[in-house]
Amino acid sequence: MKQSEMVAQKDYWAKSACKMCIHTCAIRAHVVDGVVVKIEGDPDNPGNRGKLCPKGQAGINRLYDPHRVKTPLKRTNPEKGVGVDPKWVPISWEEALSTTAEKLKAIREDDPRKLLVSINDFHRIHIWGWGSAFGSPHYFSTVGQYCGAAYHPTNGILDGAFAAINDYDHCKYWIQIGAGDGFSAHLHLASSIKRMADARVDRGMKLVVVEPRMSAGAAKADEWIATRPGTDRAFVLGMVYTMLYELNVYDAGFMRKHTNGIHLIQKDGNLLRNPENNKAMVWDTATDQARDFDAEMDVQDMALEGSYQVNGKECRPAFQVIKDSLVDHTPERMSEICSVSAETIRRIAKEYSDAACIGSNITLDGKEYPYRPAAVNYYRGAIGHVDGGLDALAMKLVNLVVGNIDVPGGHLGVGLNHQQLIIEEGEDGMMKPQPHLLHPPGNFSAKPDSFQMIEWYPIGIDPGHLCSSNIMDPEHFGYDYQPEALIIEHSNPMWNLSQTPKVKEVFKKLKFIVAIDIVLNESSDWADIVLPDLSYLESDLLICIESPMVTGYFYRRPVIKPLYDGRDATDILSDLAERIGFLPNWNGLLNFTCFLAPEYHLEPDKVYSNLELTDRMAKSIYGPDQGLEWFQEHGHATRLMRPDELYMSAAQKGLRIPIYFNFIKEVGEDLDKKMKAAGREWDTSSYLPVPVWRDSHPLHNVDPEYDMYAFAFKEAQSNFSESTTMPWIEEVISCQPIHLGVMINGKTAQAKGIKTGDVLKIESPFGEVKGLARVTEEVHPECIAISNTISRWSRHPVGKQRISTHFNQLLPSDVKWTDGMTGHLETATRVKLSVIAE
Amino acid sequence: MRYGMVIDLKRCVGCQACTVACKSENGNGPGIMYTKVLDQVSGEYPNVRKNFVPVLCNHCKNAPCQRVCPTGATYKREDGLVLVDHDKCMGCRACYVACPYNNRIYLKRGKIKVGYYGKEMTPYEEVKYAEHQDGIVEKCKFCSHRIDEGLTETSCVQTCPADARIFGDLDDSESKVSRLIRSRGGRQPLCEDDTDPSIYYLD
Repeated sequence: MKQSEMVAQKDYWAKSACKMCIHTCAIRAHVVDGVVVKIEGDPDNPGNRGKLCPKGQAGINRLYDPHRVKTPLKRTNPEKGVGVDPKWVPISWEEALSTTAEKLKAIREDDPRKLLVSINDFHRIHIWGWGSAFGSPHYFSTVGQYCGAAYHPTNGILDGAFAAINDYDHCKYWIQIGAGDGFSAHLHLASSIKRMADARVDRGMKLVVVEPRMSAGAAKADEWIATRPGTDRAFVLGMVYTMLYELNVYDAGFMRKHTNGIHLIQKDGNLLRNPENNKAMVWDTATDQARDFDAEMDVQDMALEGSYQVNGKECRPAFQVIKDSLVDHTPERMSEICSVSAETIRRIAKEYSDAACIGSNITLDGKEYPYRPAAVNYYRGAIGHVDGGLDALAMKLVNLVVGNIDVPGGHLGVGLNHQQLIIEEGEDGMMKPQPHLLHPPGNFSAKPDSFQMIEWYPIGIDPGHLCSSNIMDPEHFGYDYQPEALIIEHSNPMWNLSQTPKVKEVFKKLKFIVAIDIVLNESSDWADIVLPDLSYLESDLLICIESPMVTGYFYRRPVIKPLYDGRDATDILSDLAERIGFLPNWNGLLNFTCFLAPEYHLEPDKVYSNLELTDRMAKSIYGPDQGLEWFQEHGHATRLMRPDELYMSAAQKGLRIPIYFNFIKEVGEDLDKKMKAAGREWDTSSYLPVPVWRDSHPLHNVDPEYDMYAFAFKEAQSNFSESTTMPWIEEVISCQPIHLGVMINGKTAQAKGIKTGDVLKIESPFGEVKGLARVTEEVHPECIAISNTISRWSRHPVGKQRISTHFNQLLPSDVKWTDGMTGHLETATRVKLSVIAE
Repeated sequence: MRYGMVIDLKRCVGCQACTVACKSENGNGPGIMYTKVLDQVSGEYPNVRKNFVPVLCNHCKNAPCQRVCPTGATYKREDGLVLVDHDKCMGCRACYVACPYNNRIYLKRGKIKVGYYGKEMTPYEEVKYAEHQDGIVEKCKFCSHRIDEGLTETSCVQTCPADARIFGDLDDSESKVSRLIRSRGGRQPLCEDDTDPSIYYLD
């Protein structure tokens, strides 16, 4: 139905897409006399099938929040700071846009790098590059800290995926490490909860949850195994050791046929190549000689193990190198690191490898696939650490060993958008590694240009947490300019970046801040101009984000007319691009980020509305008959994925996937060379082809006076963004003890003389916060756990805590605490506690 | 015909989608929750057990709230729903005291005039709070308005991402609720009063 016809009705249900987290469940809104009175899951959608999480339903709270920005605002109080009233006055759009454009134009003409950019609305990834079209390389915000700078690139390197999930429909033994899938967060929560419940209860799938806090998932698991933060890699490598050295269970057929486990590796860790044609080589046991990887030979004859001499060089198949690299990763040694008993590590390894049914097959839609119904799923808790890249590779390895990658029952790649997995031919018969599915990589330069130093993290995703350290100490890495302005769109860098006192210093330096949002937050409280966006229930967008088992675009449509004088953020940014004078760059970028086909490319000097852009995007992806009007008439274009789309994507194209990550080693060596040539000291030691435990980890080598570990967590009520300023959510979490204070284990609390309700001073080497103690049995004795729901301090009246315990203040923000391979910040820390009031 | 609900504690993940769906559907203002999910923790680390237990009005067959109501405001429908006639309720709160499950809510006078942001209501609050009366006792209605419209699910059941809540006719031996109670051994939240609740938990 046309938009105008729909909203003219007195009583109707309008289908749309949710935006109360970074994903997009399909919703329908009931509108009576122009008022949204209910939001439900869309019952016709194959993803969430009518289901919706508490946050999705609380979208009504956000829509009708009296504290929404209703008109453009101008600050009249020149003083800025936490709790300082900006004394907003409403202004016209013309004044707001012309003032903003004038300030930013002057900066662009002087040096565009003086603009900091904090645009990371995950539903509008197409606008993230506005800053680069302007000429600024900065990413003054964080995404990776909350999801996975170490997670996404490794998914892309393994199988062309952005995310990953175990196969809800066929898995029978699911190990979940530091992840909320199916319970509390990640990848379309409502649909994931349903699929996980079906697997657990209807199919009797066994679930083992590994993490230092008893999350909702751990509560429902058959077994909860508590680890020390940042040591999950040790747990899984202990499992791999058990499988390779004690049980002798691994999927040799899969490794020979579908991985590079057969490639011969030289002593230096690099591939042995045929000097005549530079091809990777394998050992043919039928003829006892090294041969080109693509020579005619029986797969069964390709050696996985052994040591061979080729042209006087000693070499081993990659699988043998992996095995040898882990020779000292005994369950006993890993147990000391992760605090899980060696006996438990061995038992879980046995249960897991037994459940994997190595060698069995399953027929789906008439086609036979390998069947491996045991898999390890993981997310930020497992990999949000220094050496997080190695953590992620270890999680992949424990899956690879049983041959479960992208097969029924196993560990499946999940695409970022409608393109699903990106499977392209690379070198040596391998799939091309895809670490940069979110946006293109930064190019190396001898002196970093961006404050997040993306030039020096060739595999990483935007380590935005580094910005504040580099801005406050520019000489250290040689920055010869300082930022003067900041543009924010649906982001909150003051809250989401680490080491907050430094972030405040950066905000104090800035001469001009403009924010685009629907509600003010800790960051926009410092803005000079605020531009009101439309809420998701008032705007148009085609969106498809990390949807497991389902593909195709969801259509976000306005369910009512806009309530206030807002404008779509895309329109605001296009208007600013024109006024500032870089519209051709901006339109060129949109051609790329909106997947526009050549016939729908934007003319360089014309401003296109968001509606026009949406229409062109729809037609580019679905053809000329399926533009915006089609979506208005038919709703979403989503459908369940077919087995041939879900499974064996690389194998279907005859390409192998890595079990030995020589790509990572090669990137590290290339970076090392460039750094040495530039005269820079830079640690590339984490770019390893095989994940191992490294005792050098800074988290576990802190001054012993910081005797506790500390980490933050979220649950379904606070999954990703937009949580705690909504009354219904606030009311619900105020009934849940885990959200009422800082969780500390009973015995530990007793030893320290801490009682529930005590006011604690929590000091890390990087900062301090206060918190109310909450004594519990649901956390590892060496840890405190802090809900993200008690972290806010904005001027919004809802969600005010008696004491705000903002965990990020306790985290560092420098290179030492950043994973060298991926740029992931260490998201756990060490603290000492003292009682300052009872 | 007797409507009832089966709550599968194995499936429930404590996400509280039901709690919010109920608030949204019924327009329940600050502090009014017809249903919620309790976090129940027992044991000592590392042998800890945590259960999420949704609670709501049990729509008892022998409802103590109905027996004590002096005005007949609390009544039982033929389909098993225990409801409160707001026009007959005088707010004496005898039912509030009599309910062994503490599942009734008294709306103080003026309660529905104040929203989450004070006296200035949002458009949603203006529409939905007008469906309530103050100075009376309220509780879960098994979404009687939805049932009367011909819908087959309460709002909490409709949204539950885990399908942990199932609604249906306890008198029909072939209904999904009856089959689940038989196959999984459904347990009523019994108490000293012989209340015969219409809620069954599956452990």
